[in-house]
Amino acid sequence: MGRITLLLIGLGIGPASCQSDPDPVYDLLIDNGHVVDARNGVDQVMDVALLDGRIARVSPEIDPEQATQRIDATGLYVAPGLINPHGHYFTGPRIGADDGGFSGAFASGFSSVSPDNFTLRNGITTVVDAGTSGWRNVEQFKENVVDPSTTRVLAFLNIVGYGMLDHNHNQRVEDMDVERTVAALEEHDDWLVGTKIGHFYSPDWTPFERAQQAARESGTRLFVECHLPELPMGEILERLEEGDILTHIYGAVHDREHILNQEGRVRPDMIAARERGVFFDTGHGGVSFHYDLAAPALEQGFLPDAFGTDLHRFSMNAGMKNMLNVMSKFMNLGMDPSDLLSRATWGTAKMVGREDLGHLSEGAVADIAILNLKEGSFGFVDSGGERLQGDRIWEAEVTLREGRVVWDLNGLAARPWQEDDVQR
Amino acid sequence: MNRNQMNEQIMKQLNKAGVANTSQPTKRRTVGQRVRRWTGLMMALVLFPLAMQAQQIDLLIKGGHVVDPKNGINQTMDVAVIDGKIAEVSRSIDANRARRVADAEGLYVVPGLIDMHTHIFFGTEEVGYSGFEINNSFGSVRPDAFAFRTGVTTMVDAGSSGWRDLPTFRKQTVEESRARILAFVSIAEDGMLGSVHSNYLDGMQPDATAFMINENDDFVVGIKAHHYRGDDFGPVERAVEAGNLAGVPVMVDFGGHQPPLSLETLLMEKLRPGDILTHTHFGSSSRQGAIDESGNLRDFILPAQDRGIIFDVGHGAGGFQWDQAIPGSRQGFWPNTISTDLYRNSMNAGMKNLNNVMSKFLAIGMSLEDVIERVTWKPAQVLQREELGHLSVGAEADIAVLQKHEGSFGFLDARGQRVEGDEKLETELTVRAGRIVYDLNGISAPDWVEPTWDE
Repeated sequence: MGRITLLLIGLGIGPASCQSDPDPVYDLLIDNGHVVDARNGVDQVMDVALLDGRIARVSPEIDPEQATQRIDATGLYVAPGLINPHGHYFTGPRIGADDGGFSGAFASGFSSVSPDNFTLRNGITTVVDAGTSGWRNVEQFKENVVDPSTTRVLAFLNIVGYGMLDHNHNQRVEDMDVERTVAALEEHDDWLVGTKIGHFYSPDWTPFERAQQAARESGTRLFVECHLPELPMGEILERLEEGDILTHIYGAVHDREHILNQEGRVRPDMIAARERGVFFDTGHGGVSFHYDLAAPALEQGFLPDAFGTDLHRFSMNAGMKNMLNVMSKFMNLGMDPSDLLSRATWGTAKMVGREDLGHLSEGAVADIAILNLKEGSFGFVDSGGERLQGDRIWEAEVTLREGRVVWDLNGLAARPWQEDDVQR
Repeated sequence: MNRNQMNEQIMKQLNKAGVANTSQPTKRRTVGQRVRRWTGLMMALVLFPLAMQAQQIDLLIKGGHVVDPKNGINQTMDVAVIDGKIAEVSRSIDANRARRVADAEGLYVVPGLIDMHTHIFFGTEEVGYSGFEINNSFGSVRPDAFAFRTGVTTMVDAGSSGWRDLPTFRKQTVEESRARILAFVSIAEDGMLGSVHSNYLDGMQPDATAFMINENDDFVVGIKAHHYRGDDFGPVERAVEAGNLAGVPVMVDFGGHQPPLSLETLLMEKLRPGDILTHTHFGSSSRQGAIDESGNLRDFILPAQDRGIIFDVGHGAGGFQWDQAIPGSRQGFWPNTISTDLYRNSMNAGMKNLNNVMSKFLAIGMSLEDVIERVTWKPAQVLQREELGHLSVGAEADIAVLQKHEGSFGFLDARGQRVEGDEKLETELTVRAGRIVYDLNGISAPDWVEPTWDE
């Protein structure tokens, strides 16, 4: 629309009214919102102008006449599109087998969910799949999920060739092929961001070492899930280096040592790992977020680097619900709204090694979340089924993907219905 | 006549080419439906005395405003659930009798919502040519991603599958979903695979369709006619013929004809009482709207509704216009059922979810009770599944607890136009067969208590 208008004006055949006004040079102006852009140190009321799907200008005052369309963001937060670094999106027709614990049907199956069902309505424009596919089925994942989605889908590649197919496949060390994993990571380096290890039940470090080796050889991240009951947490932490990621950190999961020690203090080796550049993701999921662990950890200053939801079929309708709900839990445990947005955007982008995302620099892709910080009385349930009472919650008003409005809760970007329309 | 006998008769009929069934609608019930009705009654007889013996309650929803249109309840009541069934609805039930209590004070407690127009045949098949991607493909969505978080416990697929794909639909969607899944089967043998299939009259076989409805009568509730561009009523006539054979209603997605076919002929002659027009609030150059070009309600609309035609919302990405809905409401025309037409293209557009669509009707003046009836008891009646959509003692405990927010809200139609409203519905709690499957703010959860540590 904006481009056509510009073209018409350029040809001198624009509407007469345009000739007296300054020519619109922007497609869209997001006017007067509280902009949080951690990379550029912005945390104040600003205007944001877009052109051709990119950020054109961020400034305290941009003339609305310069834009074809205007969204009034007064009283709202404007942030880079949020990034959810932990979910399972390799959805498909495969039905789960009862394989004793690890419920399968994640790879091309029913336990994974479609990104667009959950993202745009929550201000999320980028998700990262947590190793649901491996080198054997990464092409199928791309064809069925990555390409057809409006959401930008990135992924960690499972070190297991079949990804999260079922329990038995996850135990086959011979299917964990460093060379082929690295080849896939290099071929798809525009959307694969690392490797993943999880769901391995023997005291054998080979899978962990191979995942880490593939990450190193491809120059990408290592993402460490839980369900590695025979690998002691202390040794996992010792092996993690700068840029590696540990998830599910606030979960009282039965098969992993917790973040807090007997005295209720954050483990010193976690703090040491953070100091040398290891990232820590929330990874809420169905069973991995407990106030008993999160509240003391936050009090002691151990905040999450990202708010990965571990979205899948079993977490979506439980206490988790969506990433804004997860972020709101941390807000009601005391975290600052701007800090939350910074971590959910620029912080997460850095964590997954995609520094082209998560900010509103001039020329950056115009993935934007316009959020409402609602006040009222809200309840937030953890994985133990316990409720925390809170007074604020995030809600997504408008989401833009490459400059296009892809979610508009209350019609902020729409024109009012006119009575005259009946008489068309 | 039992189901097997019906299908025997259909098999015989298959041998007689070109026999059109022009008999009047019969609205027979299948054996399955009869059994379900009797089961419901028997359960009610068995459970009623049990509840009276002060048996322990599994879930008590306390202090909410119950709206149960079938039973004429519209007041503050407590609702008790035992063994997955409604055990008691009364003014005050002792909380000490309950294992779990949900505090519904200030909230509305209603039967689990029924969304009778959705596309949920999700799959990964690509036809490889111009298709709808609705049949076993990406254009459909997974029901559980949307149902419980909006109070919906029953989702009805509107013709995504034809009779050929019903077994796949059953396996992939009906059996794998936690929400109760019902379906209209498309009169087109391949369902909503592509435009060509929806225009291929030879592929619309009433006998085969009725046969498969009888084989799958645990979840198939009707027949859908849709997306036909011919200048005749062929698909509608064949769907009605199949509907007569199987004793089920027909839903029509009408339009796409140049010049437009007569809406009056469809509603007054072709459809039977109990049949359904969907996308009620839609008009275009290829589909006559209920509201004409001058903003007037066409004179046959209210008579059609009087003769029993069901007008369904079917909002979708393109099926709901304020300039149809608002003039209609001002001239006394309201839809009979409210539904979403949920699919990939509608989920993030003006439609969003059933609670949002319900709130649009609050915004243009429909009462809350009328809105609730149109997503509970009314669709249950239309679908001939009268065991659903109410909170009678003995009914399966599908329950939605809704909050009616007050504030300033905007509601978008399919043309991107906004209407302001001051009320909006949100789902607080959803119960499916007695089990809590969604709890937005933890109204059924205990408060977290900070643990103590060894210092």
